[in-house]
Amino acid sequence: MIRIENISKLHQGRPVLKDVSLTIDEGTNMGLIGPGGAGKSLLLKIVCGLVSPDGGKVFIDDIDVHSLSPTELADLRFRIGMLFQNYALFDFMNVAQNIAFPLHQEGGHSDEEIDARVEQALIDISLPGIGHQYPNELSGGMKKRVSFARSVIRRPPILFYDDPTAGLDPVTSSKIFILLQKMKTEGGVTSVTISHDIKGIRDICDQFALLDEGELIFVGTHDEIEACDIPMVQKFWQGYSDDELDT
Amino acid sequence: MHRLASKIERPFAILGEKAMKWADITGGLFLLIWQIFWNLLPWNWDFDGPEIWRNMYRVGVQSFPIVVVTAVLVGAIMVIQSGLYIEQYQAHGLLGWGAGYAILREVGPILIGLMFSGRVGANNTAELGTMKVTDQIDALRALAIDPVAYLVVPRFLSMIVMMFLLVVVGNFTALIGGAVTSQFLLGVDMMLFYQSVVTYVLLDDLWHGLIKSVMFGFAIAVISCYFGLATRGGAVGVGRAVNASVVGSAIAIFAIDYVMAFGSL
Repeated sequence: MIRIENISKLHQGRPVLKDVSLTIDEGTNMGLIGPGGAGKSLLLKIVCGLVSPDGGKVFIDDIDVHSLSPTELADLRFRIGMLFQNYALFDFMNVAQNIAFPLHQEGGHSDEEIDARVEQALIDISLPGIGHQYPNELSGGMKKRVSFARSVIRRPPILFYDDPTAGLDPVTSSKIFILLQKMKTEGGVTSVTISHDIKGIRDICDQFALLDEGELIFVGTHDEIEACDIPMVQKFWQGYSDDELDT
Repeated sequence: MHRLASKIERPFAILGEKAMKWADITGGLFLLIWQIFWNLLPWNWDFDGPEIWRNMYRVGVQSFPIVVVTAVLVGAIMVIQSGLYIEQYQAHGLLGWGAGYAILREVGPILIGLMFSGRVGANNTAELGTMKVTDQIDALRALAIDPVAYLVVPRFLSMIVMMFLLVVVGNFTALIGGAVTSQFLLGVDMMLFYQSVVTYVLLDDLWHGLIKSVMFGFAIAVISCYFGLATRGGAVGVGRAVNASVVGSAIAIFAIDYVMAFGSL
């Protein structure tokens, strides 16, 4: 279970997260939505201990993430997989090395086992035979899928996806969502998915949280968000704008 | 009244801002040094031989041509500059000493250090900076890997070792450059040049320069890694970080040189 308690964060004196509290139960797939610049990615980085909050606490399975020593935090991170918004593939490694990297670092796996798992991962993301290529030779969609494979190769029980379909065409986006759906159906995974693709995450998330200007303004299920009468929530969920454009 | 107050406050605000920035950099540098040594403790050190070897090749072997060219020219310049006085006083036997002393003790390590910081240090900062702004450093941390242990320690060790070796090679080639120039430009026999170096230049002079090279390697490694890891703000930020790294390394080289020269008095 992930428990976020009263998280606040300032950036250059300006509050970017204001007293955010959220509980994600084990096995829940939470969709974190909201306009750009609302603080979604920052919240995700705070949850997995990459950024320290100015106030509040984050508990993963009742462990206070930000009170851990570097070694304890590293141990916790072995149980977390993260897909970054801009891929974050290591330029100096080829695709196979990128995917195999978490397994090498974890230790206890033979080279044959790692090779087999990498090969299977490439098949799972529909990119067999590209293991020798380097990230700069791949398209955005391919990078995203490789990054996905790297984040799940250790089969972590907690997964964070930061805008997995940002900048992708609809066909590639649907391929990514199929992968996320597969992770969901395999079960046992607690995940948080940030996305602007409402249509896409409707099917893969059980719960939704909407963050606007650093404030959490809604948390609820699919039915609850449909029935919610907060204008901002409806605007975002239905994808319309009140503003008129000059023509 | 309000305008006057803000005018009076402004210089203090600027001063305070600069002081905070310098304190941040100084604190960051010392923190990085602490983290590096922490990771080098025998019970913490996860020795990654292939990575260190790869870094040594990259920072050392690939810098070899540029160091050799610089060193040969430095040797030649030292001889040409001393040539005028050598001719005037007919002190041909002192040519090797003059050039050798200056090369081994001062000019060799300093110029190779500056070349090293321009080539290797800048490259290192750009690489780490790019990794920072593209979330690769965060990705390492998210995969439970300490970026200092994985990225900085191998670079730190490689840069110190290779800076030392490059100065050894550079000293040797600078003396060859000096000897050849003295023979063909000033007509001073190469053997006389060699005898002069061997007779008058002390082992202490050589060691003085080599200790400097280790100190320079240390400073360039720490500064270039620090500015790389502290990069913010996309491609523009990487450019700024590289600039800060090269300027910082150059200042560190001259400051260390001054302290060591003063200390050896």
